[in-house]
Formats: sequence, structure tokens, C-alpha cells
Amino acid sequence: MKAFSCENVKSAYDKKYLDSHPIISDITFDIDEGSSVAVLGSNGCGKSTLLRTLAGMIPFSGDIRVGGRELSRLKRKEIASSVALMSQISQVYFSYSVFDTVLMGRFAHGNDLFGGYNDEDRTAAEEALKRTGALHMADRNLSELSGGELQRVFLARTFAQETPILMLDEPMNHLDLKVQAELSEYLKEWGSEEGHTLIGVYHDINLALRLSDTLILMKNGKIVKKGEKKEILSYNLLQEVYDFDVYGYLRSLSASEIFD
Amino acid sequence: MKRVKDKNRIYAGLACVFAAFALVLAVGVGSVSTSPAGVISVILNQLFGRELPESVDASIVSIVWEIRMPRVFTAFFAGALLSVSGAIVQSLLQNPLASSYTLGVSSGASLGAGIIIALEIQSTFLSFLLLPVTGFVFGLGTVLLVIFFSSRLDGNLKSHTIILFGMITSLFTNACLTLVSAIKSKHMQRLILWQMGSFAGRRWTHVGILATICVIGCIMAFMFHKQLDLMSFGDETAQGVGVDTKKGRIVLLILASILTGCAVCFTGVIGFIDLAAPHAVRRIFGPSHKYVIPMSGLLGGAFMILADFAARMVLSPQEIPVGAVTALLGAPFFLWIYFGSGKKYKRK
Repeated sequence: MKAFSCENVKSAYDKKYLDSHPIISDITFDIDEGSSVAVLGSNGCGKSTLLRTLAGMIPFSGDIRVGGRELSRLKRKEIASSVALMSQISQVYFSYSVFDTVLMGRFAHGNDLFGGYNDEDRTAAEEALKRTGALHMADRNLSELSGGELQRVFLARTFAQETPILMLDEPMNHLDLKVQAELSEYLKEWGSEEGHTLIGVYHDINLALRLSDTLILMKNGKIVKKGEKKEILSYNLLQEVYDFDVYGYLRSLSASEIFD
Repeated sequence: MKRVKDKNRIYAGLACVFAAFALVLAVGVGSVSTSPAGVISVILNQLFGRELPESVDASIVSIVWEIRMPRVFTAFFAGALLSVSGAIVQSLLQNPLASSYTLGVSSGASLGAGIIIALEIQSTFLSFLLLPVTGFVFGLGTVLLVIFFSSRLDGNLKSHTIILFGMITSLFTNACLTLVSAIKSKHMQRLILWQMGSFAGRRWTHVGILATICVIGCIMAFMFHKQLDLMSFGDETAQGVGVDTKKGRIVLLILASILTGCAVCFTGVIGFIDLAAPHAVRRIFGPSHKYVIPMSGLLGGAFMILADFAARMVLSPQEIPVGAVTALLGAPFFLWIYFGSGKKYKRK
């Protein structure tokens, strides 16, 4: 079973630019159910746009199937029941409590027009807060939180959706090392559970390697290559995608000599 | 979390008491005053035919029942409509300074009313409803125009596009109104008075129409409370958890415009309530629309009653425009709610 299957997909943020100026194009790939995929590439290459396209948030052409169902025929609630996306952008205009914010992730599970959220929703929200180490902040308001704390809350809201497919756009970029370690452990565990598909956009190649079994390399809105870790992380491919000596840079970052 | 819920229930109870107090005060006090008991006995007399006590003069009946009560209830429902509409638009456009006036409702309604007044148009079919109906149609038409042009330019119907087109359309319709006023200058005074807003001379028919729209509109807005919570985080978040933001935005913008259009067409352009009441409510009850929608209606209505009460009492027997009072009372009240009330409403 495929979690995603894309055939000749292109997308743009406005329908009228779909043919003339697509952000991503010629996207054809499959993602198996239960796999963990990392999307890598330099800034502006279309990684986040790819995730938004897969979540049906922006206009696209071509064929995208989610769990075998045609994405363009699905209603928003149906998509949100299968796919959860945590994007880099999440604005805060009104200061909700942390718990209420996470509870909102349960929107797609409710049917009633007037009712609020039920006990099952509350339990799921609590569980999601526990998983991101943010349960102690449940009663605080969003305006009191730091960038990293906010990121944990938004991540918890994504977990509260309880979808089989999780897409994370730079999930760790504001988090401290301890939370990064805990969260990557949890994501690894979540990804290994049956039927769970994890797709992440990462700038940290080490993190991508830790969390994923398949890598997708992107450049200029197109997929350069998709494959196993070893196949993708060759010197030449990384040099081509990032346009500089990635190997040399990664070696220079190693702090292991200090720990010895 | 339970603590917040309990606290909000207590505040909701206090808000009901405050609204009831405003109602009784505004109905009972004026050039001729009567006690709260007198007000209640008049209501019982009119509704159930119960005899009036000797202490209540028969002349007070028509003052309370025919003049003050329709006026006070019109003020309440107009305030409620404007506040609920303001709360919706602020969340939809993720802009605390937005209101449905931003969408061009008031300028459109004013242009409609201006044309009727300036051209001295009359209708036997619509009778006294001609002016409100025209104002409403023009107000709603302006918003539909804003939505149409915004969606043509920006397929995603982003907030800033709507605000921009709303402002441009408002300026354009205001310019048209200025032109109409300049050409037919003898009607300018009537037009200015209409624009200033007033509840004087309102009848039970007005109350009936406003109350019906207010109840239906508030129920419809409440049905969207979860969507509104999510849409205040931006489109991407809302879409991600299952909200059809484009459809929701169009439906809610039209709903907000109908609410404001109804208030404006019966009472004129009264500002500030739509902006201040939702903010005050968020400060007291938190940002959840489960509370913001009903409480904006209740407190916005109560505040409008008090503003109208002040408008007829401060320089009595002369009345001052209620729109001026809402801004004069509302601005310091808004500042107090936002900055100055110490720990109780400390910015959380």
C-alpha cells in the first residue's frame, strides 16, 4: 500500500500561475506506507511547497493519491484525518491557552456543529502534550511562550490529529538539544509503528539520517533523486544539490574531538 | 482548565446581570422616570393585561412601552449585531483593528441611504423600510464586490487582499456619496444625521426585525466557533486540521456583513462598539469563540444601551449623536480594559 503516489505533479500558490510559473514541477514518486522519508535541499528549492502540495493546501495539477484515494476529490476534513502537517509558519494573533491550542488539532474528529470537544479529544490532546514534553505548560497562554516552547505546542497539536501520515517541516529548528533528543527518539518510535508514515523536511542531515530510511533530494522545484540513504548521500549528489562541499562542512562541524 | 471554565461561567453570569441592569436603567430613567418595579408592572400590564398599581401613572405606560422599550431594545440588538460581526471579522482577517466596516459595509449602506435621501425616492410598498432596505442592499453589495475583486486578484483570498480591497472600495463609495451630497446639498443635513446614527423613534417593528436577525445570526456564528478559533491562527494551520478556509471565509464574511448591514440600515453608522466589545470580551473571557461570540453580543448590546442612555441624558433635553458617545466612552474604557486594570486583566 502506498501512503502517497504522485504522477507528474506541479503546484503553485495561485492557480493562475500553475502553468506559467509552478513552484514545483515534474514530481513523480511513491511513498510506501510505513516508511520514513526525509526531503533535503537548499533554501527555496520547493521542500515546504512539496509538503503543502501533498497536504492539498495549494493548487496543483497531476495526480496525487493519499492511501489510494485521489487527493483532489477529498474534503478538507478527510485529508486532515489522514495527513497532519506541521508547517514552519504558525501565527499567533490571539493568546489561547496551550491546552486549547492542542485540542484544536482534534477538529477533524468532531462532527457536531454546536458541540465542543469531547473526553476522547481531551485525552488525545493530553497525550500529545506529554509526548512533546509540554504537559506542564498546558494552562499557560501562547503569548507567554518562547519560540521553542511554541514549536512544541504546535507539534503537539499535529500529534493530536492522530493521523497515519505525519509531515513535519523543520520540526526541530527552535528546540533545545534535550528536547531535540527526546523528540527525535519519539518520532523514531512513532515512525516504526505499523502503518505510520513520517515525511520530514530537515536542514540537519544528521537528523534526516537518524529519522529516515529514504531520502529525497530537491533542487529548483524538481526532485533530483529519491532513494536509500547510502545511494543519496554521495559526495557528487550533495555537491550538485547544495552547490558547495557538504562533506567538508559536515566534517568541520564534528565536536567529537572535544569530548575525547 | 476547569478553573478557567468556572471563572468564565461566573463572568458570564455577571455579564447577564450587567445587561439586565443597563436595560432597566435605560427604560426607567429619562425626562419622566419610574422605578424598576414600575417598569416591570408596565411590561406585565402590556403583555398579560395585569392591572397597573396606583403608584404608576397611566401616562408612563406609553412612555415606557411605546417609546423607551423599542428604543432600548433596538440599541441592544444593534450593539449585539455590530459586536458579533466585529468579533468574526477580527478573527477571520487575523487583524485586531479590523471590523466589518473595514469591508465597506457602512460606506456602501451610506451611499444607498444617500441616494434615497438625495433623490427623494419614496415607495408605497416598502414604506418606512425603504431607507433601511436600500442601505442594507448597498452595504451587502459593497462587500460582495470586495470579495469578488479580492478573489479575482488573489485566488487564496488572503486577509490583506480583502482588507486592501475593502479600504479601496470604502474610499470609492465615500467619494460617490460626497458627490451625491455635493450635487443635492439641500439634503446634506438629513444625510449627516442619518450617518451619525440614532435610536430615537424606533418602533417594535424595528425591534422584531433586528431581534430575529440577531438570534439567527448569532446561532449561525456560534456554529462556526471552532473554525473561527482555528482561522485566527492563519490559513495554513486551519487547513491543516481540516477547515475549508476559503469557503468558511466567504460564508463568514457575508454573515458578518449581513449582521452589520442590518444594524447600520436601521440605526445609521455607529462606530467603536464593533471594535472594542470583542476586545473587552477576549480580555475577560479569553479568545475562545465559544465565549467571544455570545458574550460580544451580550456586552456589546449592553454597552450600546448605556451609550444611547448617555446620548439622551447628558445634555437633556437635547440629544447628542450616539456614535460620538460610543467613541467618547469606549476609547477610555478600551484603554482601561487593555492596559490599565492591573493584575486582574494583566496581559496573559
